[in-house]
Amino acid sequence: MALVEIRDVHKTFGKVEVLKGVSLDVQEGEIVTIIGRSGSGKSTLLRCINALESVDAGEIRVEGLKVHARMPDLKKFRQRVGIVFQAFNLFPHLKVERNITLAPLLTGRIDKAKARALAADVLTRVGLADKIDAWPEQLSGGQQQRVAIARCLAMAPHLMLFDEVTSALDPELVGEVLKVMEAMAKQGMTMILVTHEMGFARNVANRIVFMHQGRVWEQGPPAKLFANPETPELASFIASAK
Amino acid sequence: MNFLPLWRYQNQLIDGAIVTLELTVISALAGLVIGIAGAVALKGRITPVRWLVRGYIELFRNTPSLIQIFIVFFVLPNFGLKLPAFEAAAVALSLYFGAYSVEIIRAGLDSIPRSQVEAGQCLGLSGWQVFRHIILPPALRNAYPAVTSQFVLLLLGTSLASQVAADELFHVAGFIESRTYRSFEVYAVICAVYFAMAMSFKALFAIIGLAAFRWPRRR
Repeated sequence: MALVEIRDVHKTFGKVEVLKGVSLDVQEGEIVTIIGRSGSGKSTLLRCINALESVDAGEIRVEGLKVHARMPDLKKFRQRVGIVFQAFNLFPHLKVERNITLAPLLTGRIDKAKARALAADVLTRVGLADKIDAWPEQLSGGQQQRVAIARCLAMAPHLMLFDEVTSALDPELVGEVLKVMEAMAKQGMTMILVTHEMGFARNVANRIVFMHQGRVWEQGPPAKLFANPETPELASFIASAK
Repeated sequence: MNFLPLWRYQNQLIDGAIVTLELTVISALAGLVIGIAGAVALKGRITPVRWLVRGYIELFRNTPSLIQIFIVFFVLPNFGLKLPAFEAAAVALSLYFGAYSVEIIRAGLDSIPRSQVEAGQCLGLSGWQVFRHIILPPALRNAYPAVTSQFVLLLLGTSLASQVAADELFHVAGFIESRTYRSFEVYAVICAVYFAMAMSFKALFAIIGLAAFRWPRRR
């Protein structure tokens, strides 16, 4: 059984159908990168996987559990599925340590005595152990994004979703975030990424999914997909992304 | 100009100032609770409750505070609720302060981006946990300057309670003036007292603000 099973998912906002029957499986330990033009439905699909959006038709299952906004144990489900956003979304009024430990403490995952050690551990994994007492506003964009990743890691998720996490960063800060994600990939974390970083997609992903007009247009291993796109839409997208 | 005749009334002036402070603080605290509850109700999904809160805000923000105090003091006894002058003024001023606080705090809550809420939800937090730990602190910071300004207006507005004979500062001043016939001196003194109290509160709020909202502002 795949970790994530997406079956014929449709999603409409007003009169605009953003997802038009998307089907996709993601196996445990797999790194799937979703690419495509703006408006192709990539981010919406990611938000549906985490029940931030409800699907209008079709079905999403994660670890066999049917996902929707009113599912029982939604909070517990979300503790197992981490999502990192383009805009970091750190809590500006909490120091880095508290940003990381807030959810583990409030959800009872850890007790107060272990909180700082947990924060230190996940911060070490993203190379920011020395920033444990900093305010988010004192960090660069890349550092904030790495703290956002650390905050998800503190919940020990089974699946990580990344929604264009480098799009808001200055070019010189992109590398540090990608490096952290690469390390997570090597440790066997199941990841679904929406990204415009073609180099990263090519080097790290097990599979590339090209979305176009709300559908999975083409998918396959990166080497094959980038070298021999089967559809003119993907060929044109790859050419424009170079 | 002769301030000496006022000297023997210094205890009454001090007592009046204390009553003014009590009236202000009690009304502000009660009004703040009303403000937070009303703002949450305004953001809620229950339409009749939203209408009710909206009606309350419009009623209390668009009628004179003096009439509100009179209604509580003179009209409510007809319905079986008879309150002494201080309590009646406190109830009316709490409702008055609450009506402004609802809008100020609602604006503060609205200033928190939706993405912050989603980030909290995605970490598996409950609605209450997201509100308490993620939305409320920065919302209160954003609302704080307006709330403190409103507090000073409330402090000055407590003088209206003199009209139902609550023993606050302005009422005491009227009493002293009637005894001494030193209008200028009496009102100059209580003006200075109101000014000193207002400036002291402003300084206090600035210190509280620095202590309570220590995180750096967005660049």
